[in-house]
Amino acid sequence: MRYWRVRKSLTVVLLLLAGVFSPAAGAAELMTKVKVGDPAPDFTLQDHNNKPVKLSDFRGKKNVVLAFYVLAFTGG
Amino acid sequence: MQAYQSDIAHYNDTDTQLLGISVDSFASNKRFADDLALTFPLLSDFKRIVSQQYGILDAERNVAIRTTYVVDKQGIVRHIEQGSEAIDPSGAKQMCTLLKQE
Repeated sequence: MRYWRVRKSLTVVLLLLAGVFSPAAGAAELMTKVKVGDPAPDFTLQDHNNKPVKLSDFRGKKNVVLAFYVLAFTGG
Repeated sequence: MQAYQSDIAHYNDTDTQLLGISVDSFASNKRFADDLALTFPLLSDFKRIVSQQYGILDAERNVAIRTTYVVDKQGIVRHIEQGSEAIDPSGAKQMCTLLKQE
């Protein structure tokens, strides 16, 4: 009984590993020109108070989370 | 955006600036930010220039595909999430913790 349980969990581990390392399941193709390791292209955009915000102004000071979203699909 | 707002203390603690970007006008973004009482900027990419620069413009719907980039202090992209995965900010949040430890 115990043996079977071990075998079962081993199988689960192997299946998980296969999932992680297979290119199909692991790295779903992202549609983005900018990849991990690339410099983030600089830009200046107006914020919601109509003030300009420049990405490179944060360089050397802060990490930045750039969250592209779609207002119409955000439900409010 | 609400999820980010509720975790704002974490982003402040990890020296992280949150920036929301959408192709909506700044007036729509203002309404959205006011409704949710957001304390970080929502940027308007009305002309789709930045969405194109990053290569995430959905040509059919003419909107940016929901994508989250975590950029480190050197200006390098360290983490990307897209589509339904990008709705949950926990991956981005974790990356900010890692960057703080560097």
